[in-house]
Amino acid sequence: MLGLIRPTSGQVKINGLDPITHHVEALRNVAYSPELPNIQTFLTPKELLNLISHELNFTDNQTRDNEIKKALETVGLHEYADTKVGKLSKGMVQRLSVAQALLGKPETLILDEPMIGLDPAGTAHLREVFRDFAKKGNGTVFLSSHIMNEVESLCNSVAIIHKGKILFRGPAKEVEQKILNYSLIQLETSPLNAETMQQLQQIPGIADINTANNANTADTVTVEIAVNQPYTDLRPQIADLIIKSGFKLYTIKPAENMLERAYIEALKVGDTK
Amino acid sequence: MTREEVIITFAKYEIKRAIARKKVLALVAFTILLGTVPYYALSAAGTTLIPNTAYPYIWVVGIFAVGPLFLNFTAILIAAGAMSEEYEQGTAELLLSKPVRRTDYFIGKFLGGYTLFISILALNIFLSVASAYTFFGTQSNLNIIPGLFAAQAFASLVFFSLAFMLGELIRRSSLAYIFSSAVFFSSYIISTFMGLIYTLTGKEIYKTIQIYLPTSPANALPIQYATTQLPTSLTTVLRFINTATTGPTINLSIEILLTYSVLAIAVAAVYFLRQDISRKLS
Repeated sequence: MLGLIRPTSGQVKINGLDPITHHVEALRNVAYSPELPNIQTFLTPKELLNLISHELNFTDNQTRDNEIKKALETVGLHEYADTKVGKLSKGMVQRLSVAQALLGKPETLILDEPMIGLDPAGTAHLREVFRDFAKKGNGTVFLSSHIMNEVESLCNSVAIIHKGKILFRGPAKEVEQKILNYSLIQLETSPLNAETMQQLQQIPGIADINTANNANTADTVTVEIAVNQPYTDLRPQIADLIIKSGFKLYTIKPAENMLERAYIEALKVGDTK
Repeated sequence: MTREEVIITFAKYEIKRAIARKKVLALVAFTILLGTVPYYALSAAGTTLIPNTAYPYIWVVGIFAVGPLFLNFTAILIAAGAMSEEYEQGTAELLLSKPVRRTDYFIGKFLGGYTLFISILALNIFLSVASAYTFFGTQSNLNIIPGLFAAQAFASLVFFSLAFMLGELIRRSSLAYIFSSAVFFSSYIISTFMGLIYTLTGKEIYKTIQIYLPTSPANALPIQYATTQLPTSLTTVLRFINTATTGPTINLSIEILLTYSVLAIAVAAVYFLRQDISRKLS
């Protein structure tokens, strides 16, 4: 997408321009944050951003200084502005990678595994940075990631790429439904007896039920109920049945890691094609 | 910002990057040693070894005695890593993912490295003159130094360009150093042998081969320039330092150097513009 590697087939166009033949024009409003970026360790974050700002053709020194300061503040690195990159932690370098991408008010951010090396607080912080960029700045974010929870929580449109081909794309929920022909409801209950399990199976729409012992306590089990498409919310019926059967119901919710399941299924589909 | 400013930015970056790699600091230390120790040694050896008439020209020792080997080797060390180290460290990817022309990056890296090289060259000349003055008194014919500096800078361009090209083609710094050094030493050795065979046989072909090897004009040009500017007695000594000066004329030396340098830069540029910029090489 950045015109650094020539495509073996196909074509990428940014705002109608080929980044290989029209590198400067195509990338004018595009910024890239690489995964675990390789940044010269002798530079400080401020020096790196200063170098990048020269590449981005900042003409006014005041604007340059302000933008650098703002970018470092946005990713929480302002206190380390003058520390050599070689002395920063992996997470800090990842933040710096994002900071350099935010310089120059780009319209499009291309992020390659941006959360790698970050602690949970850092992950949450950057997630907000990207949301702000998309919402307040009206920007487009391309996020490349293998962490499906991250994709699910950040993206309103996903594409699953395997062996250089897009297998599925669209809104996350649609992609999930396209790949998986079921939805999942996850419950935490006291251990259910065979009769209740059988009754659950008989609810119209339920395709499969799996039970797993809870590692934390023997008093509860985790039950996953697969519901056929088209999805109808069966949670009230399920909850009603379990409670009326005399069991305790602690939680009942749609499963959260559906995109990950869809991704795994999609790769199987991709391998058979 | 203009393109020139972007190129200067990359040039400054390259200088800083090369200095941070520390090998340049080692080269500077070596330059200081070569620019001072020989003069101290000559001075300590006593006045009977060196006639008083040679004192005002003793500054040429530091410039010509170490030039052929040290300067070309310095050029190779700086140039071979300019592009290749960026691929090895994966740092080229981030810089080239910005809306900048690859040509600007290429020119900036080349000029940055070359600027660093000629700074070391200038330091070598300065130290030679300063040491000669300190140990042997007032020096003569110093007015030729700017021209001599230009001749040495231009003469070293050939191995700088070759090493820069090999660094880009191979994209491995250690291999680029080895290949560039191999080209340099092979050319040096073959040139010496060709000169010897020519002396023994008198066959022109050996002399022609010697003349067109890159080390011959690279070593000869500064001496060819100096011989036109210095006293005859001194130029005899200079000719002894480099037998190749008996071969090509100044113009031919310039033409050969220019051909090698332009070809090497062109090959490196075409390759760089057409090749992918991959992530870190493992």
